[in-house]
Amino acid sequence: MRFLLNPSRFNKFANLILRPLIYLSVITLFTGLVFVFYLSPNDYLQGSTVRIMYIHVPSAWLAMITFAIMTLYSIIGLAFKIPFGFIVTSAVAPIGATFTLICLITGSLWGKPMWGTWWVWDARLTSVAILLFFYLIIIFLKNSFTNINIAEKITAIFVIVGSINLPIIKFSVDWWNTLHQPASISKLSSPSIDPSMLKPLILMIIAFTLIGLAIAIMRIKTEIFQRKHK
Amino acid sequence: MKTINSIVAVLQREFRITFRNFSDILSIFLFFFIGIMIFVFSVGANNDIFNQIGIGIIWTLILLTNNLTLRKFYQDDFNDGSLIIFHLSGLSYELIVLIKIIVNWFVIQIPFFILIPIAGFLLNIEIFNIKIIFISFLLGSPIITCITSISGSMNLLNKKNFAIGSLIIMILSIPVIIFSVGLVNTAEELMRDQINILLGIMFLFLAITPWICSICIKLAIQEK
Amino acid sequence: MLLANNIVFNRDNKKILNKINLTISYEKIIHVTGNNGSGKTTLLKILTNILEPKEGGIFWDGKNIKKDPFIFYKNLTYIMDRTSSNVSLTVDENIFFWMRLFSSSRSIKEIESILELLSLYQYKNTLVSSLSYGEIKKLELVRLIIEQKKVWILDEPYIGLDQISTNLISETIINHARLGGMVIFTSHIPSNIPNLEILHLKNYEND
Repeated sequence: MRFLLNPSRFNKFANLILRPLIYLSVITLFTGLVFVFYLSPNDYLQGSTVRIMYIHVPSAWLAMITFAIMTLYSIIGLAFKIPFGFIVTSAVAPIGATFTLICLITGSLWGKPMWGTWWVWDARLTSVAILLFFYLIIIFLKNSFTNINIAEKITAIFVIVGSINLPIIKFSVDWWNTLHQPASISKLSSPSIDPSMLKPLILMIIAFTLIGLAIAIMRIKTEIFQRKHK
Repeated sequence: MKTINSIVAVLQREFRITFRNFSDILSIFLFFFIGIMIFVFSVGANNDIFNQIGIGIIWTLILLTNNLTLRKFYQDDFNDGSLIIFHLSGLSYELIVLIKIIVNWFVIQIPFFILIPIAGFLLNIEIFNIKIIFISFLLGSPIITCITSISGSMNLLNKKNFAIGSLIIMILSIPVIIFSVGLVNTAEELMRDQINILLGIMFLFLAITPWICSICIKLAIQEK
Repeated sequence: MLLANNIVFNRDNKKILNKINLTISYEKIIHVTGNNGSGKTTLLKILTNILEPKEGGIFWDGKNIKKDPFIFYKNLTYIMDRTSSNVSLTVDENIFFWMRLFSSSRSIKEIESILELLSLYQYKNTLVSSLSYGEIKKLELVRLIIEQKKVWILDEPYIGLDQISTNLISETIINHARLGGMVIFTSHIPSNIPNLEILHLKNYEND
């Protein structure tokens, strides 16, 4: 388990696992897409457009799990004084930001045929937009300091402050949404999941997770390398 | 007791410096009013619109105005080493943060109790219940002060990016805006719940802000 | 007694302080010398618990100051390389702030005579923003008298001072040590204080 906390052990682990991981993720993605496009049914109401869900939901999942991992490693870096925590935090932030962006864009593309607009301020999309802003602030904050030591520590503190605030913000956005939104918009939340839709969805979630993991490992290796040669 | 003496000394110094530079404070409040005017130009001087969104405009401008106080919170005292002097006199950093928050609240937030009704007149808002607006501001303003304090302490060694401090304030203030504005525009039954939520958020921030800010200040002092 | 034990400090993987050992007992004056970047200010910051050393510890009366720095601070006046007087306040207001902050028992008469000695009395009601650099430095040194502490740690106290003021400060330091205090200060300029212990810090890149 040391590879989760120690740069050199992590490098050894990464070198072992990276290539098979990439192959596995490509295969899973391919299989998933086959299911998505050929082996899954149309939705009763939405028709073929529902297939965007198979990208939208996995990216949402990745966006959130990445933030959780960032928070965990920020705590490891600050409270346990293990520098690897900061390495992971800064490596993984752009990955989370990208998945959040994908989630937003697919959400927007999904919305256009459904409600005729490119954007709607429903609780789900608004919360994801706020998550994207958090990611961007974290990335910009880290680049605001000339001294790397204080940059990573202040960023870690902000990640933790952010993760405390995210449930509060999510709660307030949901609350605000129930007051201000027409009820029809909650279609984004769930087509009632038929098992024939569940299989491709889970496949895609696994595929995205593997891809995210692979990219994260590559970025962490790069981050370790950069710091060693500073 | 010596600690109380030290606390009073710092409070006295802060207020004295603030009122010595009174035009700085007034500029901040002028920003508030010019901002209201900008909204009038952009939205149109239509009383119906103002009735609906007036409180929202006022709260947004309160938030933006607080952004201007970001640098004033700790930066000057950090730069000349005063924060260290306060600490050497026996005050913990948490206490110093608390003192700064109290000063900021008195100097920046309390005047808003006068400015908000004036803005209300300017926007011709039918203020049915000024009491509710004051309650929402009474609960929301300490939260905004705490958030500004957190952002100010994080940005002590930030010499490049001047926008990020404001970004932090704005994104952390989303719940405050939602519930404070919501409190005014809502029905009687929901008011109690919202007040409780705001109270909860306020106590949460009051509890964690001194701790977080003192960590950031200590980090900045070490890395200076 | 103030003890620095095997202090090691690095910055960005450069060694700044390597196993520094220092003992300061009462009536002792220590002059820390060294070129720019040799770690003089760093050492003082470690002595005052502002910076944490990579290895080693600072002990006051046998206790590690990291555990409870305030016990040490009750006996310490630390004059930094930057001045902490606020430019929006007058000389008097800054002095009364310090007096209240440190619960000083000095009388107004004592303070006024110090100001006279430093040729600052005429500026009692002047804003600090109108003073010259040297005068602001002299004002900061009034803290030494106000705080009435045993240990004086001074970072470059002589910079910006004219000859008269330099001699005055040196005399004050000698007096303080004679009356049982202890002083450690950094300075580029060689000092003419008698019975001085000199600690010379090396630059590790030049060695």
